[in-house]
Amino acid sequence: MSEAVIKLRDVKKSYGSGAARTPVLRGVSFEVARGELIALVGQSGSGKSTLLNIIGGLDTADAGDVEVLGHDIRKIGEKELAGLRNSSIGFVFQAFNLLDHLTCLGNVTLPASFTPGAKDVEARGLEALRRVGLVELAQRHPSELSGGQKQRVAIARALFGAPKLLLCDEPTGSLDSETGREVIEFFRELNEKDQMTLVIVTHERRVSSVARRIIAIRDGQLVDGEELALGAPGDAGGAGAGGPA
Amino acid sequence: MMPVGNLVGMVVRNTVRSPRHFALSAFGIVIGIASFVFFLGLSMGVRNVILGKIFPLEVVEVVAPRASFMGKDITKKLDDGTVEMIRARPEVKEATPRMKVAFPAAGFGMFEGQEIKFEVGGFCDGVDPKVLADDPKLAALFKDWEAAGADDPAKTVACVPPVVDDKGVAGKNPCPDPEFYYCDVQDNRCHRRVPVIVSPTLLELYNGQVASTHGLPVIGDLEQFVVERGGLARMRFTIALGETMVAGSAMATSDKKRRVEGMLIGITPKAMPIGMTVPIEYTRRWNQEFAGDEAASTYSSIVVTLNDKDRLAVFSAWLQEQDLRLEDQLGERFATAIFIVTTLFVLISFTIVTISSINIAHNFFMQVSERRREIGVLRAVGATRTDVKLIILGEAALIGVIGGLLGVGIAFAGAALVDWASATYLPRFPFKPPTYFDFKGWIIAGGLGFSTVFCVVGGYLPARKAAKLPPAQALAAQ
Ligand SMILES: Nc1ncnc2c1ncn2[C@@H]1O[C@H](COP(=O)(O)OP(=O)(O)OP(=O)(O)O)[C@@H](O)[C@H]1O
Ligand SMILES: [Mg+2]
Repeated sequence: MSEAVIKLRDVKKSYGSGAARTPVLRGVSFEVARGELIALVGQSGSGKSTLLNIIGGLDTADAGDVEVLGHDIRKIGEKELAGLRNSSIGFVFQAFNLLDHLTCLGNVTLPASFTPGAKDVEARGLEALRRVGLVELAQRHPSELSGGQKQRVAIARALFGAPKLLLCDEPTGSLDSETGREVIEFFRELNEKDQMTLVIVTHERRVSSVARRIIAIRDGQLVDGEELALGAPGDAGGAGAGGPA
Repeated sequence: MMPVGNLVGMVVRNTVRSPRHFALSAFGIVIGIASFVFFLGLSMGVRNVILGKIFPLEVVEVVAPRASFMGKDITKKLDDGTVEMIRARPEVKEATPRMKVAFPAAGFGMFEGQEIKFEVGGFCDGVDPKVLADDPKLAALFKDWEAAGADDPAKTVACVPPVVDDKGVAGKNPCPDPEFYYCDVQDNRCHRRVPVIVSPTLLELYNGQVASTHGLPVIGDLEQFVVERGGLARMRFTIALGETMVAGSAMATSDKKRRVEGMLIGITPKAMPIGMTVPIEYTRRWNQEFAGDEAASTYSSIVVTLNDKDRLAVFSAWLQEQDLRLEDQLGERFATAIFIVTTLFVLISFTIVTISSINIAHNFFMQVSERRREIGVLRAVGATRTDVKLIILGEAALIGVIGGLLGVGIAFAGAALVDWASATYLPRFPFKPPTYFDFKGWIIAGGLGFSTVFCVVGGYLPARKAAKLPPAQALAAQ
């Protein structure tokens, strides 16, 4: 099926106001079909995270059309948008973003707190943990886990609601290369076996090697993916989100 | 909105997770609510004692202010006309006159093996027996027996008054029903003893001051006390009309002297506070006999029950036009004093609670910034703005509820401590109450309510800020 899961047309976004106003996205358009695995690449500060957040409804575009899973993200109500994030879109972040006061299972089932009438919550949570191979750590707290384990718990949380779209912002950025490789392999599997649509922001060549398509962004605009150099391998480590601010 | 059960669970988990935040936020609320509940309970308790037992506010007393013009006494006379005039006022429910014994009289008798003497003239009021209508037991005894018992066969019994020996002890009572009758010296006939009532104030004065210093028993329940002593006859005493205990009294009542017997039948707040109270017909007759017509038709005061306590001002203004006034209302003064003190403490409590509310707002603002990433995560997995707001408000409300409960608990503990200390270390004094507190339901409900409301108010702006946080920005927080 070539039905579009994501449709962006001329999306613009700037931060700040007045003289300090800086455009981040200067008119981005592309489509992602169901079952695609997209690598979103670009240098630090090029607007990758911003774009991903706009797609996931975590941030808002200033102009343009953003259609995700058939919903016009810029027009639907806050409640619908939250519902979409709750059950149709999964997020994986570089910083894991697990809640330390909850167990792994608690973190994985957190989305169910916001789902009216959620059923079999624990069983589904354990199943998600089993998929990432951490079911035996269900009652541990995130602080007791390694970075790779944490990211797998975060992925289990993203998978809990059986989303149609998984948005990953530098999911391997905080992991060593071996663990990163495992995570990427897992994503590839998700894409191939479950036909899940994935958009992965990354600096790493490895991701681009498994990606069906590479979307490259520079200064807020798309460039031809094949032409864009992914940067020297040494460049990847120092270009984490945020940086020492 | 997220399911309520999940909301509550999340709020409780979040609260349990940060005890330090809870303690810092709840501390002020606990103190404020504790002081609110403690002092309101205290003032209600003190109010009960002062206004319920010492100075009942139920009724007001009208008197004529002393006035003279060019050496002539022009004090307004309180008579039946005045009573009728007052009764005609719309704000007045009932008006009953009181008449003091207007000539010297003394009382003496034996009590617990001790001879007691007391002044009656000026300390004896006559009241309409109707004022005791709501106490049938007392009303049955508190009557003008001279009139009521016109066909009383006992009255026709001739008797010889028992001789009183030099120790003041009378011989055997010759009357057929010695529990109630005595042999009157005036007509050598048996007469029913004059029924006397006294106030709880007097009883408390006796218990608190006289009993302890004179080694006399403390009277708890008068009825039981009387039964233990062997009946009402033991509560009798002599009233010596025309005699006085006051040495050098100007009112020399040379010729007229006569003795009757009285009998204490009960304790009621309807009796005058300090002194004894008898049916008004007795004082009217005695005044007639010893002080003349004028004294027998002049009331000392008129006790007025108002339809509505709030119309006292109207009534008081009207009284002034009539050259009359209200007897100093000690109860009213105490009520005002208690009101002012209570208001003061409630204001202080509210100030503490308000400051705590601001403190809570401050703490929650800090919490919201510290928990930005967490808030972002919640939004990312499906929380709406409303959910985030409700979670923060719920945490604030929980602090309010727990803080309020702790405050009420501390107030109760404080009250128990005060009552225990009073019972253990304070000597007995008039009206010493077993508890100084009355924690009415509305005080506790109010304490918990204010605590919750003030916490929610304190949490409102931080909750709004948290809800407004764009998720992407929240997630980017360090
Ligand atoms: N909330 C914000 N307020 C102001 N400027 C912002 C905000 N978020 C991002 N920016 C700016 O927008 C630009 C793009 O940021 P973005 O995070 O999308 O870049 P990125 O491609 O993800 O970079 P990185 O690879 O370092 O994660 C940057 O210049 C950044 O400073
Ligand atoms: Mg980024």
